Amino acid sequence: MHIPDGYLSPSTCGVLVGAAAPFWYTALRRVQRTLSSRMIPLLSVFAAFSFVIMMFNLPLPGGTTGHAVGMGVASIVLGPWASMLAISIALVIQAVFFGDGGITAIGANCFNMAIVGSLAGYAVYRLISFRAKLGSARRVLAAGIGGYAAINLAALCAAIEFGIQPMLFRDASGAPLYAPYPLSVTIPAMLLGHLTLAGLAEFIISAGIIAYLQRTDLGLLRQTAPGAPDVDDAVPAAADAISFPTARKLWLCLALLLILTPLGILAVGSAWGEWSPQDLSDVQTRQQIAAASGNHLPPDHVPSGLERLSSIWTAPLPRYAPAFIRSPAFGYFVSAMVGVGLIVACSLLAGWSMSRLRSEPQRHHMWAPSNRARHKSFVEKTIRSLLAAMQHTLFAEDMAGAPGLLQRLDARVKLIGTAALVIAAIGVRRLPALAGIFLVALLLALLSRIPVKMLAIRVWLAVAAFTGVIALPAIFLTPGQTVYRLPFLDWPVTQQGLRATAFLILRAESAATLSVLLILTTLWTHLLAALKSIRFPAVLVAILGMTYRYMFLFLQIARDMFESRESRLVGILAPSDRRRLAAASAGVLLGKSLQLSGEVHTAMQARGFRGEIHLLEERRMSWSNWLRTGGFVALAAVAVWLGR
Amino acid sequence: MRESAASDLAFEVNNLSYRYLQVVALNGLSMYVHRGERVALLGANGSGKSTLLRLLAGLYFPEHGEISFFGEKLTEQRLENEKFFFAFRRRVGLVFQNPDIQLFNPSVFDEVAFGPLQLQWPKEQIRKRVGETLDLMGIAHLRDRAPHRLSGGEKKRVALASVLVLDPEVLLLDEPSAALDPRSQSQIVEFLVSWGNRSKTVITATHDLDTLEDIADRCYVLENGAVAGEGTPLAVLHDVALLERTKLVRPHHHVHREGASQPHPHLHQHNSD
Repeated sequence: MHIPDGYLSPSTCGVLVGAAAPFWYTALRRVQRTLSSRMIPLLSVFAAFSFVIMMFNLPLPGGTTGHAVGMGVASIVLGPWASMLAISIALVIQAVFFGDGGITAIGANCFNMAIVGSLAGYAVYRLISFRAKLGSARRVLAAGIGGYAAINLAALCAAIEFGIQPMLFRDASGAPLYAPYPLSVTIPAMLLGHLTLAGLAEFIISAGIIAYLQRTDLGLLRQTAPGAPDVDDAVPAAADAISFPTARKLWLCLALLLILTPLGILAVGSAWGEWSPQDLSDVQTRQQIAAASGNHLPPDHVPSGLERLSSIWTAPLPRYAPAFIRSPAFGYFVSAMVGVGLIVACSLLAGWSMSRLRSEPQRHHMWAPSNRARHKSFVEKTIRSLLAAMQHTLFAEDMAGAPGLLQRLDARVKLIGTAALVIAAIGVRRLPALAGIFLVALLLALLSRIPVKMLAIRVWLAVAAFTGVIALPAIFLTPGQTVYRLPFLDWPVTQQGLRATAFLILRAESAATLSVLLILTTLWTHLLAALKSIRFPAVLVAILGMTYRYMFLFLQIARDMFESRESRLVGILAPSDRRRLAAASAGVLLGKSLQLSGEVHTAMQARGFRGEIHLLEERRMSWSNWLRTGGFVALAAVAVWLGR
Repeated sequence: MRESAASDLAFEVNNLSYRYLQVVALNGLSMYVHRGERVALLGANGSGKSTLLRLLAGLYFPEHGEISFFGEKLTEQRLENEKFFFAFRRRVGLVFQNPDIQLFNPSVFDEVAFGPLQLQWPKEQIRKRVGETLDLMGIAHLRDRAPHRLSGGEKKRVALASVLVLDPEVLLLDEPSAALDPRSQSQIVEFLVSWGNRSKTVITATHDLDTLEDIADRCYVLENGAVAGEGTPLAVLHDVALLERTKLVRPHHHVHREGASQPHPHLHQHNSD
């Protein structure tokens, strides 16, 4: 259902962006106003969930493929407005980075799937569930039907948009300029697949997730069910304050889905209406297209407008198939990782930079390893290592205040400059140019007096370990000239594989180093101001910051609880008891941290916070700052040019 | 904000109820506070003091009952209005019990400037006003320090400064002297006694009977989310039965201060004092 570039006329795209804009605006305003700290992590979970679920292609009757979207369940849990934002975020990332859905058609795709879909799913759910009990089977059914209605209505909208193109836009000879098929073909072709398998998938997903939430976190369903009676006494006292553990469980489910994504390419054939111009002119695929379109062959010549517009944007990882990975399944998996990573990483990154929003521990030295360290369970060890990360943020604050090159630069210059270099690192195609960018990052670190040892341990090693897991298989999986065979296993190491791995790791290292430099040398308030001055929506900044605060408070309370527990423990517990104790305290912990973060939000409100942060210094960019920004961008451009 | 001359009451609260999900925090509470009056809310832990302060500060909204602020109804809808919101936040300041909750900025200066910035004062005025407030609270030397690395007493001063910078007419204090050493405690109390030349309205939630007479003209004793007793500090301190019932004193102990020298009944006599 992702309409590609070229299938809709620019005017249709414009109209649909116009139609979507008021909804986006209202949604942003609403989310900003009702910015409940609880809902924020959920919003990003659902954005990521929708992204991944759309990668599972199902074979549909007629030889095409389709997929579920997840807008029904998102609107039921988040409410229609937040759901619109979550699905739109997923769609924009798909279009920009993966070429799934056109750049010009972002408005259309968001309108169909995010806006119409969310509203339809929500309306149907509310209508059918009416005043049923929160835990009732009727709500499960209502969710399923809501999802089913949502995806079909979205498909119908797409079909209508396709179908009116030949009626409105033809060239002088009467040949269609954009999508070639009339309504009489598009509607049956689109709905055939969505009324059956794709709709069924959406039904199962919506009903399944709601049924699951009924058992684990009833409070989450209350928000979109005003007037629903409570379930007798089954509602736990903290019902509306436990979405964090739920969010965490949902992330786990998401991770599982991620691993399964390669299943999504088992279905061969492309989705209806998502053919490339080559598909439209190839004899064999033309037959397949005709079979899926009620035996109407597409026009002999590729519509001229379609051909022109279709090449308007080349995504870095087109069709979820990174050029440097030969195995389609692996490429698909990496793409899913990157997509979810993009959604999560930007929140973590900006969240990290807001590390000063909440204070770090005042007595961190008390968290020294004790002689009981070897009796710690896995959970405790994990939490301890996270606590170490907390100390890192304390360190970061000192860095930003120290004298150095980057510390002296305006935050906006750094923001744009680093972004340019990161983009260059992703864009260059030659290893020496990439290495050059990495050296620039290293030089900047030295001039800013960032200890290289810290960078090496905290950034380079960590990133190498993380990307290594993803990249190492590529050494063996990438076909090409074999340079070495592993002893015993006899796996071939190919030159192309080594190259692909080197690229991936070096890219990740450069991008991470640059981002860390930005964060270490900039106070979060300044970074916020910079984000705001480049028109980054303030509500998103606030969302990212709050997401971070969850993590931070969680850690702070964890430390206190473990310390107090340790002080009360006498003797050594059996491993099973330790695990049980750790699990139980984790539950209490999450409840406590949620309560605290809610409190901080209240404290901000008490002093006039309305979802937007105002800062003292909003200076204009001076010419010298423009010059410095220009320097960074020029450097990035040179790297891209040399490495093309 | 419009102000009718008739509303001599800073706050008027009628039959207020509030629940945290199933837990009842306030249960049909009624009270009033005159303009310029200093009122203490006494009560044991969990008696509803903090909740009441948050409702008065327009952070929570009641399930039943209503709150009037200088004769005007305080509702969620009205606070949605930006003009009313800013005017209200300007006039009413709340100091939280836990300064760690209230302090979330990178430096003391930023912390104190946060409120005026959100209310969109002119930048020059903010700089000037923040400087004055830091001097007033005697924390000018801390201006560039990170609030979370300060001592408990310093934190409390920063928390106070971050509210006083707006020069609110009504100050709501949640346990201002809790968890402080005696010296910091008395400094905070001394400051509050002298602040505003008694023209300000101050509502203090506390269970500290030692300082009651210094900080309040009148007290409400809260129990289970409702008013259990009301009167001058002296009258309340003498009502031993009330204090014991509301768990404010142990049966064996209560406080005598200089000034509270009038004779009053003792349930227990100590021979070896």
